[in-house]
Amino acid sequence: MRARSFSVPWFTVLNVIQLTIAGIVVITPTLWMVLSSFKPSFEVTAYPPTLIFSPTLENYASLSQTTPFLHYAFNSVLVTVSSTLIGILLGAPAAFVVSWTRITWPAIVSLVARMAPGTLFLLPWYVMFRHFDMIGSYWSLILTHAVITLPIVLWVMLPFFDGIPRSVIEAAQIDGCGPIKIFRRIAVPLVSTGIAVASILAFVFSWNYFLFALVLSNAQTKTLVAASFNFIGEGATNWGGLMAAATLIALPPLILAVVVQRWLVSGLTLGAVKG
Amino acid sequence: MASISLRKLVKKFGELTVIPDLDLEIPDREFVVLVGPSGCGKSTLLRILAGLETIDGGEVMIGEERVNGVPAAKRDIAMVFQDYALYPHMTVRQNMAFALENKGADKAEIERRITEASRLLDIGDYLDRRPKALSGGQRQRVAMGRAIVRDPKVFLFDEPLSNLDAKLRAAVRAEIKALAQKIRTTMVFVTHDQIEAMTMADRIVVMKAGVIQQVGKPEEIYERPVNMFVAGFIGSPAMNFFPVTVEGDDLRLQTGDTVPGHAVPGFATLSAGQDRQIVLGIRPEHLDGAGEGKGEGVPITVDLVEPLGSDTLIHFTLGDVAAIARVSPDLRLAPGDRVSLVPAPGKARLFDAESGKAIQ
Ligand SMILES: Nc1ncnc2c1ncn2[C@@H]1O[C@H](COP(=O)(O)OP(=O)(O)O)[C@@H](O)[C@H]1O
Ligand SMILES: [Mg+2]
Repeated sequence: MRARSFSVPWFTVLNVIQLTIAGIVVITPTLWMVLSSFKPSFEVTAYPPTLIFSPTLENYASLSQTTPFLHYAFNSVLVTVSSTLIGILLGAPAAFVVSWTRITWPAIVSLVARMAPGTLFLLPWYVMFRHFDMIGSYWSLILTHAVITLPIVLWVMLPFFDGIPRSVIEAAQIDGCGPIKIFRRIAVPLVSTGIAVASILAFVFSWNYFLFALVLSNAQTKTLVAASFNFIGEGATNWGGLMAAATLIALPPLILAVVVQRWLVSGLTLGAVKG
Repeated sequence: MASISLRKLVKKFGELTVIPDLDLEIPDREFVVLVGPSGCGKSTLLRILAGLETIDGGEVMIGEERVNGVPAAKRDIAMVFQDYALYPHMTVRQNMAFALENKGADKAEIERRITEASRLLDIGDYLDRRPKALSGGQRQRVAMGRAIVRDPKVFLFDEPLSNLDAKLRAAVRAEIKALAQKIRTTMVFVTHDQIEAMTMADRIVVMKAGVIQQVGKPEEIYERPVNMFVAGFIGSPAMNFFPVTVEGDDLRLQTGDTVPGHAVPGFATLSAGQDRQIVLGIRPEHLDGAGEGKGEGVPITVDLVEPLGSDTLIHFTLGDVAAIARVSPDLRLAPGDRVSLVPAPGKARLFDAESGKAIQ
């Protein structure tokens, strides 16, 4: 140990500094948000921020009284889970086909679509959904959110499918499998980690996506993220309520990320299937 | 069980023509080994048989059926891959059962075949393990087992021994041969290793650059190679090639030494003074050391000695040709020694230097 401590390379030190800064940047607002949500309203905006206070659940209690919070949560879950499912059901086979045939243009197109700002789609969609009288429907939200999830699933899954040796797929062909059976019985079981990673990422992105829900939902179908906008403006902002809502909204992705973090990291770094 | 016939087969990868025009007939129940240097198109040919590659011309027949457009899944053939290609998420048992389940075989039948195959291959002890928990040799056996349970029309093997260490390779080679004699199904085995070809094949197909050079029984290929490529490729160490000229009843080497023509098949068809470049091919094992100064044979100086135990390889230079002879260890030769080498009568071959073709 002693010998090591003398030979810490300079970049290790730099790494630690970088990570510390990154950690502070990420953790401070989160901590501030969570702490504030437990503060009495008058203390939330106090300056300097108080670190010692008597925690209260009043912000959380007021949430469910002042807004249909549970209903919004249900909307969010419905839209997010559905769009994630659609993303997986369409994206995983698509990724398999792209990986196997090496015809990559569909993947590129989806990536470009994903990278383009959402506002680009918003107007045409608005016009389209209005034409079909679907504004405010769950379907309009689910379908538009599927546009978020599909490219994520496709691109996350691609290296996992690439990691399957071609000979394994060929062996299955020779063993009498058609494409669908190969996908179900060979490819999918071999990329289960990838499916988990893709699902989680799709879930998180869909859950957090704000713009489409803001425009295409109505009071009945609003998602949590869109609804949290209600706390801002309209005269005085209810900071305590906003913090409580934000904390609750951030909870599912955070819990997911923590639960599967080891999986997530290993899954993101290598998609290889070891025989 | 089925015969195979390939007619006027053409295969291209984009601009690259891998197989320009190939005909091959493989009778039912024959064990054929395709052998040739790396990149000559052996795997491609095998994959065409399997239905894993499309073709750009010609016909592929398995049994009486023309299978040109038939996908691999419908060809009822089994293949053992170079990397074994076992299903990593399945146990050995599931790996073996998979194809049978796809065919809709009933449970009892599947179980019976797995038991039989695992006894044949001695893999019964790890039927419930995943491939990851097996050694290379065990995986190789499982890959064979997965093929055998199928009871397919044709077995295809793509260099299945190349990932095994030398000792294991020799053992498995013998096992595959024994197995082939037991199951007697048409088998096509691809290798770049001429020893595998010689030891296992009923018939050998020698390929070079997508073109079949010679088809024949191992001893035919060894004894009567049709050209210098086959002669040099089959046999280890490789055949020695010496440029010669015809002089009366003799062949004259670059050094001026002569070899009597009557000992060389094909000599009678040559006429003296012909303006034709001729190559004398002699295998190392067909050069006998006769000791010095016996008046016969070709005197050489030993450059290097490689004792193999049963035999000794001596390296020497004749004219500008580096050559090898396989002689008796009793000669106790050392580098620098002089010895006379006598070609075994009837064993040498003559080739046309320009075309490389054998002169029969
Ligand atoms: N999928 C492919 N695309 C392009 N060229 C290929 C492909 N597969 C094989 N080849 C080429 O075809 C030739 C024959 O390959 P292969 O049949 O694998 O040779 P072998 O098995 O005899 O070593 C090689 O030149 C190889 O580079
Ligand atoms: Mg090959």
